[in-house]
Amino acid sequence: MVTNIKATEDKNVSIKREAEEKRELCFKDEKCIGCGICEQICPLEAIELGPVGAIVRGEVDASKISIDENKCVLCGMCSVVCPVEALDLIIDGKQIKEIEEYPKLIRSITPEYDYCVYCGACDTVCPQDAIKVMRQLPERAKLVTGEIEVDKDKCISCGMCEDMCPAEAIYLVKNIPTSSNFEIASDIVVDKDKCVYCGICKRICPEDAIKVVCKVCPYGEYEIEEAEVKGDLILNEDLCVNCGWCQETCPKDVFVVEKPFEGELIIDQEACQGCKTCIEVCPCNVLSFPKPSEPGEIADKLYKDEKYCIYCGACQNVCPVSAIEVKRSGMNITPIKSKAWQKAVESLKETLHKPKTKAESGGK
Amino acid sequence: MPKHILSGLNYLAAITLRREGYLQKDIAKWLGMDRSTVSHYINGRNISLDSIETAETISKFCPHDFLQMTNVLTKDTGKTRIIVKTLMKRKFNPKIKDSCIGCGLCVDTCLMKAAELNNLKAQIDSNWCCGCRMCESRCPTNSIEILEV
Repeated sequence: MVTNIKATEDKNVSIKREAEEKRELCFKDEKCIGCGICEQICPLEAIELGPVGAIVRGEVDASKISIDENKCVLCGMCSVVCPVEALDLIIDGKQIKEIEEYPKLIRSITPEYDYCVYCGACDTVCPQDAIKVMRQLPERAKLVTGEIEVDKDKCISCGMCEDMCPAEAIYLVKNIPTSSNFEIASDIVVDKDKCVYCGICKRICPEDAIKVVCKVCPYGEYEIEEAEVKGDLILNEDLCVNCGWCQETCPKDVFVVEKPFEGELIIDQEACQGCKTCIEVCPCNVLSFPKPSEPGEIADKLYKDEKYCIYCGACQNVCPVSAIEVKRSGMNITPIKSKAWQKAVESLKETLHKPKTKAESGGK
Repeated sequence: MPKHILSGLNYLAAITLRREGYLQKDIAKWLGMDRSTVSHYINGRNISLDSIETAETISKFCPHDFLQMTNVLTKDTGKTRIIVKTLMKRKFNPKIKDSCIGCGLCVDTCLMKAAELNNLKAQIDSNWCCGCRMCESRCPTNSIEILEV
């Protein structure tokens, strides 16, 4: 009889069945966001969500899901609906997302690299560190032009120019006075690569020892080369969860993001006990504790910015007091011919408030 | 003895196939025998009546037992499916319900290679289904029904 073979490596699991076809289901824990959609869709109840709340709080070190190899029949439903590709069914060496018959969750991020000005906003906001912006700025000295001259005979080495220079371009070469050489500075130096010809040194100098002319202002910018910023926008699609932070934040509309699910995120402010587990588990930084804007103001306990929500339901699953409800109203998925699959996918729209597992409720 | 029973099955399959009009050459290929043996069988030689009788009895077992017995004798699913398809007198009509999730367990289970997946749903070829019902019992969603015609 054909049986499943299970292999575990660290927190990753693979389940294999080799007969007429070779089927293998691979679970990668580091990709898993603990949303539990796989558990919800599995027609054989072979998947059980682990103690995700305790895992994200760092109290338990375990795999986010467990798969019972005696129940799993490698149908691939979990793999199709996993919003982060933590589950992959491979049939005869081919991932099912490459096999036409299987439906695919539509989710994407499309960057228009040419629009990017390397401001770095996306890099800062991305909750998954999926975006890196590296930029090379031009040399500052090439963007200014002018002349500066210090009359060393007039200079009394007071150092006021050095203290005031915003570009740290002028400095005294200090000297410890002795009976043979009583000067407190042996020289005053201007670093022309740093000087921007702003003229502050000239204005502060008590002895009128400095002359500065900025050539940009009176004569226009014709002598100066264009400021060209080069850079690289690096997107790691494997890490992207399609939350849309980059799309919302980018001032240049570089990103177009398609989300896998539509829905509604409902928070019961009364019920929330402020345990923060939802904030820790959310892969999209949707949730936060608001700070009161003025003393004495009572803010909401839990703040949400639903723009960034992908309705994965991880927050709902980890909430110990059922203060969060995620209602999925739509699925962005390619057409499905099989009735059983249609029904299974449709079932993800039902809200499931399941009793918590033992580990989830702290073993009580 | 298993060898003799297998000869009996081969004999029955060979004469049935010949009667159905197939060429000796093809019969030899399908059953994995040389052509002279097929020729002997067809002319009623080199075979004991006991073996034929035992083989006939086996072919009248319930389809599951007939299939498993044949497979254990031939140790070759290719030959098994030819013998069982040739000697199986009963006809079956497999029905797949909409609850099929397309897991492919039936495909992996079916020794007759009658099952395949089409658009994430199983499909069973009634020409090859021998009625053993192994797929029916393996199906995790009880989506298969094998009806005898």
